[in-house]
Amino acid sequence: MEDNLIQTQLSNGLRISLKEIHTAPIVSVWCWYDIGSRNEVPGKTGVSHWVEHMQFKGTKTMSGQEMDHAIARVGGYWNAMTSSDWTTYLETLPSNHIDLALKIEADRMQNSLFDPEDVEMERTVILSEREGAENDPLFLLGEATEALAFKQHPYRNEVLGFQRDVETMTRDDLYGHYQNYYQPANARLCVAGDFDSQNLLKKIEALFGNIPSNNIVSNIPKPEETLSEANRIELQGPGEAHFAQIVYRSPAANTDDFFAYTILDSLLAGPSSLNMFGSGSISNRTSRLYKSLVETEMVAGVFGGINATIDPGTYAITLIGRPDHDSEEVLNHFDQQIEDLQKGNIQAQEIERAVKQAKALFVYGSDNITNQAFWLGYAPSFADYDWFRHYVDKLQAVTPERVAQIAQKYFSPNNRVIGLYNPVKGF
Amino acid sequence: MTNITKNLPNANNILRKQLKNGATMLAWHNPTSPAIVIQGLLTPGTMADTHGKFGLANLTAAMLMTGTQKHDFQALHEKIESLGASINVQAGKLATSFSLQCLSEDLPSILDLLVEVLSQPSFPENHFNRIKTQILTSIAIRAQDTGAMAGDAFDRAFFESHPYAIPTIGYAQDIVGIELEDLKAFHADFFAPHTALLTVSGGLAPDRVADMLENSFGAWQKTAFKTQPDLPDFIAPQKALREHVAMAEKSQTDLIIGVLAPKTQSEDIYAAMIGNNILGQFGMMGRVGDSVREKAGLAYYVQSALGSGLGPTPWQVFAGVNPDNLDRAISLIKDELKRFANEVVSTQELEDSRAQMIGRQPLALETNVGITRALLSIERYQLGLNHLQELPDKLKAISKQDVLAVAHKYWDFDRLTIVSAGRELT
Repeated sequence: MEDNLIQTQLSNGLRISLKEIHTAPIVSVWCWYDIGSRNEVPGKTGVSHWVEHMQFKGTKTMSGQEMDHAIARVGGYWNAMTSSDWTTYLETLPSNHIDLALKIEADRMQNSLFDPEDVEMERTVILSEREGAENDPLFLLGEATEALAFKQHPYRNEVLGFQRDVETMTRDDLYGHYQNYYQPANARLCVAGDFDSQNLLKKIEALFGNIPSNNIVSNIPKPEETLSEANRIELQGPGEAHFAQIVYRSPAANTDDFFAYTILDSLLAGPSSLNMFGSGSISNRTSRLYKSLVETEMVAGVFGGINATIDPGTYAITLIGRPDHDSEEVLNHFDQQIEDLQKGNIQAQEIERAVKQAKALFVYGSDNITNQAFWLGYAPSFADYDWFRHYVDKLQAVTPERVAQIAQKYFSPNNRVIGLYNPVKGF
Repeated sequence: MTNITKNLPNANNILRKQLKNGATMLAWHNPTSPAIVIQGLLTPGTMADTHGKFGLANLTAAMLMTGTQKHDFQALHEKIESLGASINVQAGKLATSFSLQCLSEDLPSILDLLVEVLSQPSFPENHFNRIKTQILTSIAIRAQDTGAMAGDAFDRAFFESHPYAIPTIGYAQDIVGIELEDLKAFHADFFAPHTALLTVSGGLAPDRVADMLENSFGAWQKTAFKTQPDLPDFIAPQKALREHVAMAEKSQTDLIIGVLAPKTQSEDIYAAMIGNNILGQFGMMGRVGDSVREKAGLAYYVQSALGSGLGPTPWQVFAGVNPDNLDRAISLIKDELKRFANEVVSTQELEDSRAQMIGRQPLALETNVGITRALLSIERYQLGLNHLQELPDKLKAISKQDVLAVAHKYWDFDRLTIVSAGRELT
């Protein structure tokens, strides 16, 4: 994969990735911090996500509204995301306004106010965000299965945090988190779009070069390589729709297993896209689980999705049930498909199709600069940019035997969590 | 720096052509893209559904993807998915929409499949029950979605006896009774290629795309068909309405407040677009976002949306709030609406919103999907091929008084429809 990539680092530790793309007068600026719910401690779950919200509330020199309006006024947009492994901030805007985005990111890396009134206001906004998510049975099921999939590792906690933690955390908790983790040495600035790299480097040096980096105290959890036992949870709620989730351990993204696992996911449940802003998707009607469970009318729908994570995570397959088939019958058929893969009944052309689909999804995702800038920062959050460059090649190298090995290694019925959501009429 | 303004789709670089079967195509060349996107529309939509069979258009659209006379379900999807492509068909109110996305090199292999799907469906019996069940399951899932239930309740209250009151997906009791023969007749009667509009953007020259479309889609000829019923006249509610859908075990209540929007082709539309941006879009969700989220901390989301379409559409404010805060959120939104309808916006607000709407054009037109979406609007609403170039001047011509006039005209406080869905009201 050819690209005009420059990767460098300032003396304060800020890592920089620049990729010139001159197809449209647009630039996308992303500032990544190596902090997510993975690094949180009990009692403070959701602190990373809350700090992300507070980063939109302003600094000593610019109020949150001034930042917001300045970006909107030029036709740009800004946003942020918190995951288990990282927190990231982005601005995509016309390229002649790149200075605005850089100024905001440099400013809020060190000068955010965390005004106590704003903290209280945002507490209820975050509770509202969580309440909106709780309306969805699949969110509740996902939260319950993740909690069983890990004994200690913080991947067991929702990024939004527990309600009780959001209700009790203080302004000092948030500000302490900000001061510790929001430092150049813990950050990556990634820019893609219509600019001149050498000029941009000078601007970045001027804006970010004098921000000091101090000692960062980071809570690094011990990875849980395997899911040590079979577990099961059943939830009940209103409605008529049944859901099931079967959750297995997934490998860390920076391992060889990840690529064969990705092919396995594609064969089982259809291709997953890792693009954040891609404009394309591919259906899963030729996948094994669709053929065996949906076409045979055992379930109404199936989908899976693999995440690229620093530590071993989870891979969940979600089944949308039908009232005329009970979950045990469906799980038996599901297990037959897994056993088939474990026995090595895999054709080379299935892998070829999965690779072609992955290539197509990458092409679709490359049609916007925001997504290209996303990859500059996303891949290094768990590996490095070469991971992205060689992604398709690595998939291409996967053999049927390797997929079978992965199925044997990770898809044991004794090492998984089954979550069921059973609707109850008149709940 | 790249200059996109001169390269915006316009009369000089959009190829607009009528195919031999009467369909209209618009194509634009995106030379840097190795992919291609087609988005299109053709009649019928749910307007052709009849009493007792609401959901027929949606069920028909879903069944189109289960096989053609040349490709059964497996062969069809094997071909699409093995190329990393996608074909989708979906019913709307006035038309059925369809889309195709693939690598440019694969378009010759897959275009005929799209045409087969639309023109020669086989309606296989062995997939009918499955598709029906999938739609019934979707209805069951929607029934637990406070946003969807608030939306349906708004449409019921607001559109009352107008066909737009009926959800596109239809009613479960009707879907159960629909027969395969109903679908075959619906397709034979109403699917009309001459009504089709196809828009294309991607890495192939428009002339080449036009030739391919002429040979594939243009070859679909049909002389006997029925015309779907015309949209009946619509008179918006003449009084204030308040509805609530009680749903058990919901942490958040979804709220919609709305009135009738100006027609997309009316002279009020540009002032309404700027006004809507000020009301609930600009920056962090405009004035309502500032009031309800930023200052009161009551909602994760609150925003306004100006509907568009050839038929009547609402102008709405949406919010998701804790049930205990519902009344306060309604009150704050109404305060903002009163201010919007009765006080002139500031010069700063007008200039900011105008600048944003002009400045975001390159972002909106960055992708093939964005381009085809714009081309669909240009043709559907007869905006003219130079619309994207002319839009900045149209927006610059709008004054503060113009915004106040449309706000005052449409946000009539005696005729607000307010709907919520969530925990039972106390």
